[in-house]
Amino acid sequence: MHSIFSVTVAEAALPYLLFRLADEFGADMLPGAPGERGIIGVRPVRELVLGKDTPRRALQDFCFDVVGWTPTLGYLSYTLGLEGFGLGTVKPQSLPQGHLKQYAAVLLLTSDGDGRLQAECRTVRTQGPQGLLGRLERVCRESAAGGALPEFTPPLPRGGLRERLRQSLGEAAYVQGVEAVLERIRSGDTYQLNLSTRFSVNLADVAFDPLRLFLHFWRSHPAPFHAWLNSTNAMTGSPVRILSTSPERFLRVRQGEVLAQPIKGTLALPRPASELSPEAIAVRGQLLTESPKEDAELSMIVDLLRNDISRHCAFGSVQVPRHKAIFAVDALLQMYSDVTGRLESGSTCLDLLLDAFPGGSVTGCPKRRTLRIIEALEPHCRDLYCGSVVCIEGPQTMESSIAIRTGWYDEGTGELCFYAGSGIVAGSDPQAEYRETLAKAGKFMRAMER
Amino acid sequence: MLNGTFARILLADNNDSFTGNLAHLLHAATGCVPRVVPYGALAGVSPDACDLLVISPGPGHPEEYGGYARFLDSGLPVLGICMGMQVINGHFGGITARLPEPGGCVHGRQDRIVMDGQVRLVARYHSLHCARLGVGLRITATLQASGSQRVPVVMALEHETRPLMGYQFHPESFLTPQGEWYIHHALDFFRHRC
Repeated sequence: MHSIFSVTVAEAALPYLLFRLADEFGADMLPGAPGERGIIGVRPVRELVLGKDTPRRALQDFCFDVVGWTPTLGYLSYTLGLEGFGLGTVKPQSLPQGHLKQYAAVLLLTSDGDGRLQAECRTVRTQGPQGLLGRLERVCRESAAGGALPEFTPPLPRGGLRERLRQSLGEAAYVQGVEAVLERIRSGDTYQLNLSTRFSVNLADVAFDPLRLFLHFWRSHPAPFHAWLNSTNAMTGSPVRILSTSPERFLRVRQGEVLAQPIKGTLALPRPASELSPEAIAVRGQLLTESPKEDAELSMIVDLLRNDISRHCAFGSVQVPRHKAIFAVDALLQMYSDVTGRLESGSTCLDLLLDAFPGGSVTGCPKRRTLRIIEALEPHCRDLYCGSVVCIEGPQTMESSIAIRTGWYDEGTGELCFYAGSGIVAGSDPQAEYRETLAKAGKFMRAMER
Repeated sequence: MLNGTFARILLADNNDSFTGNLAHLLHAATGCVPRVVPYGALAGVSPDACDLLVISPGPGHPEEYGGYARFLDSGLPVLGICMGMQVINGHFGGITARLPEPGGCVHGRQDRIVMDGQVRLVARYHSLHCARLGVGLRITATLQASGSQRVPVVMALEHETRPLMGYQFHPESFLTPQGEWYIHHALDFFRHRC
């Protein structure tokens, strides 16, 4: 890829730039965590929509059979992972098994750590689409100091959500589901299982702009793995806007060095973390790190992730350099660990990703039988939820998130759906697990009412 | 087996999610790359084709896994981990049942066991346990007794005459310090039996 232009953008102006890129260019955006690099794709030139019969070879070819540095952005659905275990789903799917794209132009966002970003535009050919590049540069320059960002207004009046909200597992059904899981744990069929529920709201008859909601989340609920992606409904072909506000990395590979960061253990804070002192957060963090239940939950997933990356990591290279660390996101505290390894010389990051897919922190353990139980207990299809948003730059370079705190808006039906779930282990209290699930969906629900 | 080494290790995977960790542990302990075969494909494997069989952990009850009988009767050294240990116990008429309440199942926890008179810290993942010992087996480790526990929980067993050994705990977990020691311990035992 060739560098075309580079523009310095005030960090505070980024939401406005993102708005214009999505609004005027239909961009796909992974704006990145503060301090981490963001990446934005403009005008897709190659797309791969994954179906049930798409061979792995086709993915490898799509991502790696390219000239020069050509990043691939997109997502892989949870259902693709089911296929990998020979399970599949008979439930109606709204999204394809995955959707990957390469672009005429890519914008890289890097922070200088001093309130400014560099937005660097790159293309495959020096003779890029001149009209597009010229317009792109103009928009970046016009946005460098910010602009009037259209405000997000919740689509429904106060109290209006209740009658529209549909839930695949309501409180009673979810609690019953948790009890069924506990029985399967006592039988030794699963050691931990993530049970989710699907929320949906039809907004066809009210004013609603999913892009504004995404930017609202991006500003008000910072999380490291936000993504805005344009895709299509697998059945109807209508446009679907994906809003992912995930705090969780799945797998990162940099020059063959693998990092997995599973999150387990959630504690609701009385107020957003930004309004609490570091001491107050530390004290609450201890509640997580010293809880035997949360400890066991995370430890199990660490062993699962060690296993899942081991297949494509060199013998002796898999380590756990950090265990039971704490971070705050929204009004939640979360506990996580680092699992590292070195990619085997004959394997690509895509081999690693596909053989570790879907991410263990959102399935449970052991995976195969647990996936089967999830499929039986959940009435909904997870689609992209618990899949991954990915940025693949080469055979040894990749970033991916776990697509939780994620929803999508179908332009055809006017339906916004989002999901939330909770990890069930021996000793889980069904009511508490339901409350945790609601807390995770809270951000979407609160944004629905004025 | 050649000169007391176990170069050809067959690792049977009961569709578990810790088998890869076990493969890496076996490699670390022996320098050999184990051949991993899913339980469903075990019918095509001869006991003569390996020097050692390691039965992985796995979901469910050992009764679901009848395919190990011919390996257990072949004279081949067999190390069973977690459900793998329960498979060995079941083969000799032992009974696997749910861990009794209070306490019940334990997943992802470090506990102390007493093994050959020594206290050791190990990782536990199990809902079921060896409730009655099979014929010809003996217990070599139990959970260190705690207040709520009424019966000893079997943490390791071996056959009195054959090269068969089982660990209920998980040496391959990052929660078990010195996991390789347990592989060496088993191999030493097999060398004496073979």
